[in-house]
Amino acid sequence: MESINHFSWLDVLLVSPALVLFFSSLIPLLSKIFNGNRETNSFSVLASALAGVVTALGLTVTLGSTHKPAFDGMLQFDGVSFFVSILILLITGASLIFAKENTSSNNHQFSEFVFLLLNSAVGMLTVLWANDLMVFFIGMELMSLCLYILIALSSEGKLSKEASLKYFILGSFASAILLYGVALIYGMVGSTQFSQILESARELILTSRIYLFGVVFVILGLCFKVSLFPFQAWTPDVYQGSPSPVTAFMATGVKTVCFVVFLKTLKILVVGLDSSHKLIEVLQWIAALTMLLGNIAALVQNNVKRMLAYSSISHSGYILIGLIVSGVSGDDFFGSASILFYLASYSIMTLGAFGIVSILEKNYDMQLQVQDLSGLGKRSPWLAGCFTLVLLSLGGIPPTVGFFAKFYIFSAALKYQLIWLAIWGVLSSIISIYYYLRPIVFMYMKNEEGAVLPKEKTLSFGVISASMVLILVFGVMSQPLFQWIISALGVH
Amino acid sequence: MFLSTLIFMPFVFALIVLFVPSKYIRSVSFGLALGHFFYSLNLLRFFDSSSHAIQLAQKIPWLPSLGITYFVGVDGISFWLVLLSTFLTPIVILASWESIKENVRGFHISLFALTSFMLGSFLAIDGVLFYVFFEASLIPMYFIIGIWGGQRRLYATVKFFIYTMLGSLFMLLAIIYLMKLTQVQFGQMSASILDWYKLEIPFVAGEFINTQTLLMIAFSLAFAIKVPLFPLHTWLPDAHVEAPTSGSVVLAAVMLKMGTYGFLRFVIPLFPGAVDYWSWVFLLLAVVGIIYGALVAMVQPDVKKLVAYSSVSHMGYIVLGLFVFNNYSVTGALYQMLNHGISTGALFLLVGLIYERTHSREISKYGGLASAAPWIGICFLIVTFSSIAVPMTNGFVGEFLILLGSFSTKKPFAVAASTGVVLGAAYMLWMTKKVFFGVESDLVKSEKLHLKEKGEKFDLRWREVAYLTPFLGLIFWMGIFPGHFLSYSTASLQHLTQSKGHYELQVLFASENDSKVVENNYQGK
Repeated sequence: MESINHFSWLDVLLVSPALVLFFSSLIPLLSKIFNGNRETNSFSVLASALAGVVTALGLTVTLGSTHKPAFDGMLQFDGVSFFVSILILLITGASLIFAKENTSSNNHQFSEFVFLLLNSAVGMLTVLWANDLMVFFIGMELMSLCLYILIALSSEGKLSKEASLKYFILGSFASAILLYGVALIYGMVGSTQFSQILESARELILTSRIYLFGVVFVILGLCFKVSLFPFQAWTPDVYQGSPSPVTAFMATGVKTVCFVVFLKTLKILVVGLDSSHKLIEVLQWIAALTMLLGNIAALVQNNVKRMLAYSSISHSGYILIGLIVSGVSGDDFFGSASILFYLASYSIMTLGAFGIVSILEKNYDMQLQVQDLSGLGKRSPWLAGCFTLVLLSLGGIPPTVGFFAKFYIFSAALKYQLIWLAIWGVLSSIISIYYYLRPIVFMYMKNEEGAVLPKEKTLSFGVISASMVLILVFGVMSQPLFQWIISALGVH
Repeated sequence: MFLSTLIFMPFVFALIVLFVPSKYIRSVSFGLALGHFFYSLNLLRFFDSSSHAIQLAQKIPWLPSLGITYFVGVDGISFWLVLLSTFLTPIVILASWESIKENVRGFHISLFALTSFMLGSFLAIDGVLFYVFFEASLIPMYFIIGIWGGQRRLYATVKFFIYTMLGSLFMLLAIIYLMKLTQVQFGQMSASILDWYKLEIPFVAGEFINTQTLLMIAFSLAFAIKVPLFPLHTWLPDAHVEAPTSGSVVLAAVMLKMGTYGFLRFVIPLFPGAVDYWSWVFLLLAVVGIIYGALVAMVQPDVKKLVAYSSVSHMGYIVLGLFVFNNYSVTGALYQMLNHGISTGALFLLVGLIYERTHSREISKYGGLASAAPWIGICFLIVTFSSIAVPMTNGFVGEFLILLGSFSTKKPFAVAASTGVVLGAAYMLWMTKKVFFGVESDLVKSEKLHLKEKGEKFDLRWREVAYLTPFLGLIFWMGIFPGHFLSYSTASLQHLTQSKGHYELQVLFASENDSKVVENNYQGK
């Protein structure tokens, strides 16, 4: 009953972006029901969904970067959540546009698709705002459950069903572990609110073994979601089996949100560790092995989506370096800033990459091989140029945003004496250059003709071009973005 | 602004070329590149050769939170390399007039982008800016070799890219570490090379694991691969053989110089203790490279590969001169950088134009080319003389100065390197004799007849005369009046060799506006 006393309209206003998303997700679904279960024009479905996203974006920007608790401290709004919400909303919009123009997702169930995607985004926003382990868990489940179905919704037959089931089973398992960790933490602290955990964490982490177990379980659950080393095995299958727009959404949105929560977890649950603590040491090893495994496995992939999936695994390793830095660096927010910068630039690049894959995919059968790209440089110079830029940026070659993302991460690592991780990161990015160059070789340097023939897909072209512009602009002038992140982190 | 205009003009050219009708791409590109070269000659007017300061500088904040600036400037060390880059672009465009047939637009865009990046890396005074240009220059070259190259171009270009990247990523870590040191020592992060010169970098002689030695290794690895220093040279013959003529010319004449320039700008002044202690390693590798390169060149059946290995050998001299480190040897090394650019560039051009006529590079198939094409023969002979350092040609001045400097302090290395001179003369003359003199071989005869039927000239054509003449002129000009060229660099080089260990450079800004003070530094805890 207490919460009703504290109920204020301001709280509702603060969560209004999520509410708007939710209500706009109902429109296509309801109109389909009232239309006798016939699919309405996919363009109007997209328009209503995009209108919702844009409204939510507008609301987020108008509300600005506040530092306010809401709903009795269950939610907490701050600069980081403001920054990442905007990122998530943009990702959602881009994925919707890709979905409309992708054959495997724009089918007789497009309304349901849009409904699920928007609700998954609502889940992401909830996770971002969560100031309580339970709220965080609920948001995470909302996000994941929508995704499980989204993957299976594809018009392609076997692969996507397999991927969905695999992701569902493993994901549920990870959620269970995470929930177990939450229970253990609750048992030791007596509360699930972050603010109260923070008060006792510094002492408990050193004294209580049960608390440490709880923390480890929460971290394991998160490691699964962001596909870090020994929990990465689902990634290639799921990324390959999902329709490309969903893959784009997963690879960028889920990863961004989970890493931001991971950052929060490290800052709150395991506050004040130095780099010699076992937990940090284990995380270092996870980072090293993730980078190595992701990059080496990507070397032998012929399927473009699988290759990108492994590359996404290796990028998680780089981001983990930043996480470790921010875990050991205490009040200095350089590590956190480098992660947020990396996440933003990674999202831009990955959206571009999967957007291009989504355009190039053949009908229904979603297998885009590297060989299919042969001669694309001649047939579709603009698309080939975009893909080249994306790949170079993923490889971290200047003057692209990917270079500065790595630059900030390595700077953070060297600043806090994680020299071996930086060297390791450099070595594995040399490996990665090989597979990032491979599609370029096929697009420009092979004489034979490949199979793909891109069709005119104006909206997706627009989104891809926009991400190309961002890759170059932030590659040449990364300062505004970095400054924004630093000020977002600085608002206390 | 002058230097920035110089750097970014080719970018604008690339954009222009994007929209030029396909018929006029070659002529428009040539006109633009020529204009760029003449514009760059203004450097001769603006540059004060009596000062060793960084001149015409421009500094604006780039990433102020890390103290990274857009900082460009020129001094005696980079002066001629800049002009060499701008000089080569129009020539390369002329040389590829007929040999590049596919995707002409893309080729010229790559070439202009490459020119921009190369100029940027020679003019950057900020470490991160340098890295960005240094690394970005790989991309256009990757495309030039990979798209317009020969049979095994894919292997060559990927090897080139990954090999070069391997070295430079370690340099990136070293750059970040130096930035961190500036924060520790000066309280403010800075990526400016000039601030790095003032750093006290801890060094322990005889030990491997100390800051200065490790940083030196990281930087040296990047530059040694680029030079390339023995035993890191294996990417070079592949890249050269597979690259189109124009690619080989730019690669040999300018891109390799980024490595030696890097030694001169970064490694030697930044890590004086470590360089002093470990210089024998560099000298040894340089000398081994000289002799090894020459010996391998001697047995090459392929003309282009022979020239490529001769590059390995000649670049060894430059590294030798740099690490002997006295006034003569460093001056000689800098001069030899230009000489190698001129003579090897010209050799690749000649090999290319012979290949265009006969479609073969196998030495054994040739003979009597001089009687079939006397003008080509004359040009080739002059360039050969320059390459083997015959007096009156430019090569002689450079090699003489390097060996003179080396003899005064590092006698054993100088003696060993001198054998390379003999070997160099041997393989070049042997190849010239085999290809140009003797009886006309079947290949030469048939191709001559073939061209005659098509109504084309077998000997030098006017376009080829146009791009070879400047080379021949420079070979003699630089050989007879080295002072005309060296006078621009002496002040800088003397300052470098005399102030070892406490090297500092002043900055002369081009104008008041060009030196906005960098504020708003992010201060970590």
